[in-house]
Amino acid sequence: MLEIKNLTKSYGDVVALDRFSLDLKKGEVLGLLGPNGAGKTTLISILAGTVRDFTGTVTFEGRSLFADRSMKNRLGVVPQDMAFYDDLNAMDNLLFWGGLYDVPRADLKRRAAELLEVVELSDRAKEPVKNFSGGMKRRLNTAIGLLHKPDLLLLDEPTVGIDVQAKVSILDIIRSVGAAGTAVIFTTHQLAEVEGTCSRIAIMDHGRILAQGTLDALIRIVGEKDIVEFTGEFAAAAFSEALQDLAGDGLELLSVADGLASLAVADTGRIPKVMDRLFQRKLAVTDMKIKTPSLETVFLKLTGRSLRD
Amino acid sequence: MRRFFLVLANDIRRHLRSPWTLLIFIAIPLFMTALIGIIFAPRSEGNELPSIPVLVVDNDKGLGSKLLVGAFDADQLKKMFQVTLTDQADGDKRMAKGKASAMVVIPKGFTLDLLEAKPVTLLVVKNPAEQFLPDVVEEFMKTIAVMLSGAVQAFAEEVKGLRAMLNLKLDSFPWERLAPEFGKAQKKVVAAAKFLDPLLIRLKTEETRAAGARPPVTAYSIFAVILPGMAIMFLLFIVQTVMRDLLSDREDGKLRRMLTTPLRPLELIGARIAGGWIMGLLVLAVMVAVGTLVFRVAWGPFGYFLLLAAVAAFWTAAFFALFHALVRSRNQAGALGAPIILAFSLFGGSMMNPEVMPKAFKAVGIVTPNRWFIDGAALVREGRFPVLSLVVLFASGLVLLALAVPALRRRASV
Ligand SMILES: Nc1ncnc2c1ncn2[C@@H]1O[C@H](COP(=O)(O)OP(=O)(O)O)[C@@H](O)[C@H]1O
Ligand SMILES: [Mg+2]
Repeated sequence: MLEIKNLTKSYGDVVALDRFSLDLKKGEVLGLLGPNGAGKTTLISILAGTVRDFTGTVTFEGRSLFADRSMKNRLGVVPQDMAFYDDLNAMDNLLFWGGLYDVPRADLKRRAAELLEVVELSDRAKEPVKNFSGGMKRRLNTAIGLLHKPDLLLLDEPTVGIDVQAKVSILDIIRSVGAAGTAVIFTTHQLAEVEGTCSRIAIMDHGRILAQGTLDALIRIVGEKDIVEFTGEFAAAAFSEALQDLAGDGLELLSVADGLASLAVADTGRIPKVMDRLFQRKLAVTDMKIKTPSLETVFLKLTGRSLRD
Repeated sequence: MRRFFLVLANDIRRHLRSPWTLLIFIAIPLFMTALIGIIFAPRSEGNELPSIPVLVVDNDKGLGSKLLVGAFDADQLKKMFQVTLTDQADGDKRMAKGKASAMVVIPKGFTLDLLEAKPVTLLVVKNPAEQFLPDVVEEFMKTIAVMLSGAVQAFAEEVKGLRAMLNLKLDSFPWERLAPEFGKAQKKVVAAAKFLDPLLIRLKTEETRAAGARPPVTAYSIFAVILPGMAIMFLLFIVQTVMRDLLSDREDGKLRRMLTTPLRPLELIGARIAGGWIMGLLVLAVMVAVGTLVFRVAWGPFGYFLLLAAVAAFWTAAFFALFHALVRSRNQAGALGAPIILAFSLFGGSMMNPEVMPKAFKAVGIVTPNRWFIDGAALVREGRFPVLSLVVLFASGLVLLALAVPALRRRASV
């Protein structure tokens, strides 16, 4: 349904997207996972038509997504900003933003009422939006992108900065929109969100997809290895050097920074040897954690950084 | 085209829904007109208005009450009022004897309450034996009260802008170095922000009015000279406020969201400019109506005036379209907008009669819309068709529009 080929976009020397390619089928929900600066917003913006001067192609059902203005009726966009009128109430916002699409007025009204129900704002529909909490605003922001029943829905960090309840509600909506046949791409830098919501997960960094597949497929990438994370007060160079000759053969340095390093080990029996070596070199390790394979360890292995930093 | 009207209707509805700013922008020029009119109006009998004896009871004795008393002492007003400061008991006694036209009582804690943005009430006691003079005092106090609480409210956005400027680094905009006077004024405005709540100063009048109609004393023709100048100045303020959407929607992502819909950038820009124009016309219509009903201004042939108003509002909308295309941020718009409008008004004749203006001012004035609108309104008043004003305002408006639209389109596509 959607085919993205070799999408490249640079801002001066910064390459925000680097030959980015992706296929998406009808009803598929793709979670695009990447740290800050990975290029997620740039991708969404190009697809949404608000960022230009890129190379590469995007086709939607065989036609260029940017071929003509009517294609925009097929596309729903939920931007990272809370983009609506604070001084209007929720209903009026829905009617205004939905009105910008080619939806018959009567359908629009019915649909707006339905969506207010879905995002649990029906009883606050007539209240100025500026009185809403962050979570309520996020839900309204999401609802606005769904009014015209798009075939392709793009959401940029739709759950940023809100409470758990609102988060769950938005993820539910995303899931059901996918189940109804809409292709969905949503970006996030929170692992827990993609695990239950997406039919497919893509991990991106530096403007490219590093790996994609179902959760299980991704976890297989790290194999059966455990991840060991060390924290303390040590220099990155000294740490690498200490373990240099142990590397290979069931032990792999994943990422090493000052005070924080992680290794992948084939079996935990090798850990005492690593500790010995670190003590010999007088490296001040204060804490050590063993993590069994999960999306987080996949992410760590692929991007060399933890999502938290 | 449907989407053009959708955006236009939505914008206008939003502006009308929060009408406080609009009302203030309409009220201030009307009160200023009233004040100036009352002070400078030539008396019909040709004899000077007698100096009005006013008693002031200052129970506050603070900075605020000093300022208020000082207002009576201002240049032009000195001739008009003869102020006696006194205490409550003595004031009451004198009023009972009919020794003054009115007594103004400033309550205890006036200054402090104002500083804490608490509403305060000024009491005006009028002498029932006199007919016109007590009303002048009341009118004067009303004007002072509204101007003080209202002006600050109306400039809230500007005050915010100025406040933000205080936080800017000097290297990004060295106001302090470029214009020390402006820096000083800015501090005053920021301090005035404490008075933000509207109509903090309320007026209470006590009177036992003598029966019988009072003869109109002021010559209304003076309002007809002042009001057009005020109207164009506040038209500029209102249209600037209304068209700020061009910037704010860009800053908070609404513009980007609109561009993901089938709405064309040109439809959006057109709707925003049309919105500014319509709101401007609306405001002029209210001022004209009040001018006619309250100040009995005769504007001249209605059609001519309507045309002049439409063209002036068009010029203003085109100007602020360009302004908001060039300005970098909302703060910058807030900080630059007011000085530009005030400069237009100063050189264009909104603030003083062009006849008494220095030559250099008058020469500069021809680039301002104020000048052409005021000249045009004067012609219309004489029943003449203001050809030159219409042509100049419309043609220069078109040029502004031709510059603004591509500039706005460029800023719309990221
Ligand atoms: N308008 C812009 N101008 C310059 N650089 C930009 C701009 N937008 C994004 N970038 C850069 O492109 C990269 C990708 O940014 P973005 O797509 O916003 O990442 P993400 O949404 O994944 O955090 C970053 O390095 C960012 O600094
Ligand atoms: Mg982003």
